[in-house]
Amino acid sequence: MSLWNRLKYLRPARRRREEREMREELESLAAIAGNNELGNLTLAMENARATWGWTWLESLVADIRYAFRALRSQPAFFALAVLSLALAIGANSAIFSFADALLLRPLPVTDPSAMFDVAYATPDNPFEGMSYPDFRDLREKSRSFSGLIAYRLTTLAATTDPAAPGQIRLTALVSEHFFPMAGVEPVIGRGFLPEEVSAPGQAVAMISHDLWQQFPGGEPVTGKTLRLNGMAFTIVGVLPESFGGLDRFVRPSIYIPLAMSQRLAAAPVDPLEDRGRHNLVVKGRFNPGSSLESARAELATIGVALEREYPKTNHNRRLTVRTELRRRIQQTPQLLALVKMLMGLVALILIIACSNVANLLLARARARSREIAIRLSIGAGRRRLVRQLMTESLMLALAGSGAGLFFAYGGIRLLQTLNVPSEPPSYLGVQLDWRVVEFSLLAAVASCLLFGLAPAWQTVRMDFLSALKSGGQGSTGHPRTLGRDALVVGQIALAMVVLIAAGMFLAGFRRMLVMVPDFRTDHVITMDTAPEMLHYSPEQTKAFYRRLVDRVRTISGVESVAMTESLPLSPSQTALSVVPEGYEFPKGTEKATVFGGAVDAHYFDTLRVEIRKGRAFTEDDRAGSRRVAMVNEQFAKTYWPNQDPLGKRLRLDTPGGETAEVVGVAKTGHYLLVNEAPASYVYLPYEQNPRARMTLIVQSNGDPATLAAPLRDAVRSIDGNMAIFNLRTVSTLYESRATGTWLQLFQMVGTMGCIGLALAVTGLYGLVAYTVSRRVKELGIRVALGASRKNVVWLVERRGLILALAGIVVGGLLTAAVAPMLMAGFVGLNASPPGVYVIVPLALLMVSAAASYVPARRAAALDPVRTLRDE
Amino acid sequence: MDLLQGTLDMLVLRTLLAGSLHGYGIAKAIHSSSKEALDIEFGSLYPALKRLEAKGWIASDWQMSEHNRRAKYYSLTPAGRKALAREHANWAEFVSAVGRIMGPLPEVKG
Repeated sequence: MSLWNRLKYLRPARRRREEREMREELESLAAIAGNNELGNLTLAMENARATWGWTWLESLVADIRYAFRALRSQPAFFALAVLSLALAIGANSAIFSFADALLLRPLPVTDPSAMFDVAYATPDNPFEGMSYPDFRDLREKSRSFSGLIAYRLTTLAATTDPAAPGQIRLTALVSEHFFPMAGVEPVIGRGFLPEEVSAPGQAVAMISHDLWQQFPGGEPVTGKTLRLNGMAFTIVGVLPESFGGLDRFVRPSIYIPLAMSQRLAAAPVDPLEDRGRHNLVVKGRFNPGSSLESARAELATIGVALEREYPKTNHNRRLTVRTELRRRIQQTPQLLALVKMLMGLVALILIIACSNVANLLLARARARSREIAIRLSIGAGRRRLVRQLMTESLMLALAGSGAGLFFAYGGIRLLQTLNVPSEPPSYLGVQLDWRVVEFSLLAAVASCLLFGLAPAWQTVRMDFLSALKSGGQGSTGHPRTLGRDALVVGQIALAMVVLIAAGMFLAGFRRMLVMVPDFRTDHVITMDTAPEMLHYSPEQTKAFYRRLVDRVRTISGVESVAMTESLPLSPSQTALSVVPEGYEFPKGTEKATVFGGAVDAHYFDTLRVEIRKGRAFTEDDRAGSRRVAMVNEQFAKTYWPNQDPLGKRLRLDTPGGETAEVVGVAKTGHYLLVNEAPASYVYLPYEQNPRARMTLIVQSNGDPATLAAPLRDAVRSIDGNMAIFNLRTVSTLYESRATGTWLQLFQMVGTMGCIGLALAVTGLYGLVAYTVSRRVKELGIRVALGASRKNVVWLVERRGLILALAGIVVGGLLTAAVAPMLMAGFVGLNASPPGVYVIVPLALLMVSAAASYVPARRAAALDPVRTLRDE
Repeated sequence: MDLLQGTLDMLVLRTLLAGSLHGYGIAKAIHSSSKEALDIEFGSLYPALKRLEAKGWIASDWQMSEHNRRAKYYSLTPAGRKALAREHANWAEFVSAVGRIMGPLPEVKG
């Protein structure tokens, strides 16, 4: 039958009419033929209805109706089960949205799975960008891709008012076909024309939805002039809100053609023609028929050809292609560890919640045994009954996941506050979206199978004759609860794993709190400026910073002033390539890429970075004098083990670069993350290594925040167009980077621990209370025979404690397996102090004792005469 | 004698070619025109009628029966006629194919 015809039969009015007609027809036929002639007419009608093709739906609707009635008749059971599931599924959904933001969310392009990342891998760096000439050659030679795009991100000073200083904006410089290949259409205005992106021509820009929102309303935004680093661009279009660029954690505000690079930099030669400038991110879409393997092989060949043709710039560069997910994992392996750990822990919570619900269902199965027995005896199939019971479970799970979305929303709101204050803002896209909703539905279905199947099967397999005979109460005496005991033991064991994990993070957090920072965090404020955005020449930049430092020194309340290329623990760290004298590199590598940067002579005393050997830079380390450098202890240990680093020499950057002599060794600190493994660091004197952008470090004798306005004024008085950003106290940065992350991690894992504990204890309480209710008669006899209240309380308590102890033992074994995995994923998570292994089991025991005490008291308060009479 | 799978629909269509009949009438007609070899269960015939009706091959309306009672009479629609022709051709082909294989009854020794 056609779908349309079948759909007609879904209309209730149509069905009613058909049924009435059929009944009338069969009645009159029966009158003509005589009853026996026609056989079972009800069956005939049932079969005729089946030809409409909706029987499955009818029985499903019946199941759902029935499930509704069954669940409504036990609101307490329903509420408890839904709450358990809601907490667990909510936690899972919130963590999923976090994982999505960190790693998993696909690129915001059409058909993201066909988009692949192309990059160079060198022996020192698995991720290097491509130069534009290489990209162009690749696009011409490659047959694997139907399209290739390139872009790079940069920060520019942007303003619509030529008189005002620019604001720092993240800008993407994009190649031809960037938006068409992403499948993104502007919501206002137009995209780039081919002639605008292929060659420098008309200066045009597209802006993000966010930036558009910041424009005064009412006026059309297209056609407006946007000054980027002082150069005028015409806004031609606004991108949709859903498109935030192709990178995680940042959302470019402005998009301009890559072809504008030279004019933007006001450079004498086009940086796009420089094959040695490996700074483009390249992505491509596969042709139908290309596979990762074939593309890999083809790119390897192209890479080798490029290396042969351009040995100077492409030496030791391999072209690689990988999926977006692989790229993200390789870029941030620590996030993968975090995601795995968090997802693992919330999965445990879900298992605890599911065993809770399974436990409730098993208890309910006994109470319902009479109903089930009746249905079985009047001919309902067991399979059909299992389906019925699973429908109930599925409805529970869906209700749980629906309610869980509210918890998830709360959790997501909390996660959204996880951010490092910076300019341009970093962006962690934790959000409640369709992916999260889909995930929670999936979690609901999975948990339904987990908690529903076994109890349903158990329910319909019971001996229904005895159930009918005993009036639904089943046999009395010692109830057999082996399965349920195992569930509760498992719950307590899993809760213990989660709690110990929380304890480990708490210990990590406390260590961070008491950890003395490796540098001064009080009374210091920092400020970034970017003279290169105003096209300062190197000489002008040097002069600007000299004047700025001199001026800031005269501000009242300023103790000292220093400059650095990158501030420790700020999210953007600079790296240096060096060749340490005498060090044998493993085959294939010829330089070391380490954290490092230029600092001035006042850096070490202003920021109180300890010098362990030799001296700090002085005013005498200036341009033209003997080249010097400083390293940290980790660097000395790695590259010159058991040797005196003082007097050793370092060659900078590429082969053939300048050589500097090590004059001092600083204490190893933390540079990017407080929990990073000890990292090597190289300091260079600013005067010998002038940089285009420096961070000013100002030490105050009072509240450093009050210096913000005078610092701004000092910059303005030198150049009113200079963009100022990241004006913040070091303590703010340190808190958000050091303690903040750990506090938030601890809060997350701690919340999971609490949910797990609450669920496990509810399970234990439920089981003990159930046992008491099943043993009323036995307990009554004991009391009648003279057992004291104390005896009875202990009898019940003992059961709860035995279960808890068993759970703790199993949990201990599980933890022994899990803890090393946690510690491997997180530098800074040490084997937690033995205290955690004492406190958590003790706490579990106490809570279990308390949970069993409630039913135990009820048991002790039983009136023996009444209980025996009731039987 | 049991019916081959799917032949019931064809029999119903063929029976209705002669004129409209009610459900019980169809059963009786098949019974008698098969020289009482085929006894159709009404329980299987009725769903078949509804199926054919839903396909649009037969239509039904209320008429007075021979016993002066109201009954639902089924008749062939043009689509039903076409379907019957198609089924008939298939059937003939099927019979001749089976006939070619079976041939005259061979002598079975044993």
